[in-house]
Amino acid sequence: MSRAGGARAAAARQEVDLVAVEPAGWRDACRRALEEGHRFCGAHAAAPPAGQRWNALFARGADTLVLSTEPDGQKLETIVDIAPAADWDEREAHDLYGLDFDGHEPLRPLVAHPKDTARWTVPVEGEGVYDVAVGPVHAGVIESGHFRFHVVGERILLVDPRLFHKHRGLERAAEGRGPAEALAFAQRACGACAVSNSVAYAQACESVLGLLAPRSLRRARTLLLELERLYNHLNDIAAVCAGIGFAGGNMAFAALKERAMRTNAALAGHRFLFGSVEVGASPLDLPAPAAARARAELRELRADAARAWREIRFSASAQARFGGVGVLDRDTAAELGAVGPAARAAGVGIDTRCSSPGLWYGSSFAAAAPAASTGDVAARLELRAVELESTLEILDELLCEPFAPEAAETAAPAAPLGVARVESPRGETVCAVESDSQRLARLRLRTGSYANWPALAQATAGNLLPDFPLINKSFELCYACVDR
Amino acid sequence: MFVLLRHLQRVRREAGLPRRGRAGSLAIRHVDAGSCNACEHELAATAGPHYDLQRFGLDIVASPRHADVLLVTGPVTTRMETALRRAYEAMPEPRLVAALGDCALGCGVLADAAELAPPLEQLLEVDIRIPGCPPSPEQIAAAILNRR
Repeated sequence: MSRAGGARAAAARQEVDLVAVEPAGWRDACRRALEEGHRFCGAHAAAPPAGQRWNALFARGADTLVLSTEPDGQKLETIVDIAPAADWDEREAHDLYGLDFDGHEPLRPLVAHPKDTARWTVPVEGEGVYDVAVGPVHAGVIESGHFRFHVVGERILLVDPRLFHKHRGLERAAEGRGPAEALAFAQRACGACAVSNSVAYAQACESVLGLLAPRSLRRARTLLLELERLYNHLNDIAAVCAGIGFAGGNMAFAALKERAMRTNAALAGHRFLFGSVEVGASPLDLPAPAAARARAELRELRADAARAWREIRFSASAQARFGGVGVLDRDTAAELGAVGPAARAAGVGIDTRCSSPGLWYGSSFAAAAPAASTGDVAARLELRAVELESTLEILDELLCEPFAPEAAETAAPAAPLGVARVESPRGETVCAVESDSQRLARLRLRTGSYANWPALAQATAGNLLPDFPLINKSFELCYACVDR
Repeated sequence: MFVLLRHLQRVRREAGLPRRGRAGSLAIRHVDAGSCNACEHELAATAGPHYDLQRFGLDIVASPRHADVLLVTGPVTTRMETALRRAYEAMPEPRLVAALGDCALGCGVLADAAELAPPLEQLLEVDIRIPGCPPSPEQIAAAILNRR
């Protein structure tokens, strides 16, 4: 084994350890990493000049371990039995990079869309079992994706999601470009996670370039990330209320979301905060009066949100619809590698904000938890309401001081591989960047939504078909940043 | 519940919504042909409490069979081309096509060319163009209303 990790500068960023592994020892190395307390957080194929490689990423605290191996021909041993969260990563690599995984049976297509249904669905047979096909075009203003429900009567036995209808080849399109130019591809992967994706991308590029973010840059990015979380959480609470036809709750939170987006536009010049993150710099210019104005607006919003949430909380008929629906239990969540609000609502207390030295979360920051970690729609909804409080608290603290444009400092030698993990509104987003003489050789964006889709499918089994929209909204995963 | 309704009344008052709607109506069917989801957020906001397009008789309907306008977002990926065509073919005539956002208009699209179908303008005749990345709810509302 050879170690080629980045320089260990004073811990102001997540550290990456790159370890080369022989193909024969691949499974053992991965198993050892998991036994040492690492958590699987992504795997991607790459084709640097030296030849095809397969990299698996493991997280422990603020550190990321990258195990890298060279496939024997196009064949590798699977790790899906020891790390079930690697299922989609292996299927994606098979479809896009032609890798084969020994022992991953059946290796169903994920990104590829074969016509033959039997090739991509799980066979479900029995008396009274039939399929309901839904999508890619849905009834509301919803992103495109296809679901095949295997049901008996109204009861869902299993759902096979078929996403990637919106696959735009963003990663491939970004490759070969310079780090600053390719930022737009990571950002536009998803409108609702634009800041999370851009910050993860910028941080990954900075570790490739050997740059370190000073305090004010860390503050600016944290402000943007929390503004993004604010409007997303407000939107998601509104969406869950819409899922049960509770118009009062839906409209109240939709109105609050609109206010949050107007604050975004006032602070950063864009309702979705596009263009507010740069590689190696922060363009955010916010003089003291503007910051104070936003702070006052957000304080008002906080009071109104708390009042609206109380109404939802004490509406007995609404609460009766949320409880016990779409349960994701703790063990399943941990096994499938669920992240973000979905994992925390199930009792898996992971939040990447606790281990983000490149950002401005204090050492006292702790992952939120609902009153009862029941893992159902009620818990996921409540968790967002709890997180709104901490998000608004952080924003209140950050907006005490003005913001000025700031550049990163050169602090470490350049590295061939950079990885950054950022907590998006939907969970941990992991960005890996491999560079080849100032150009991107590989970009991989594994967002919180990507990590959570298998858990959503699992939580759906056993529920009623008409409850699927509600369960789907309680996870509120993006299709755009999964499909890329 | 009453607190929420009072809250909504306040929002509508502050937004200065007119008391009477206009004559006529348009039923809109949205198809996401590969957008980044920002256009969807803004389109959904036009039906929200601050803009409330329903007061003008504009509504987003569940089926293309009920629709007058096919509202398309995104640059049209190869995998969405068929679904988009089928949604259009399912609509009764006369029908309009609206391109929502710069991607649907073929401007500044970020994608691998191999994953894209021909741009919307080449697939269907576009009647309403709403530029922006994404266009704001006001811009969307104004563009659809002025077409009538």
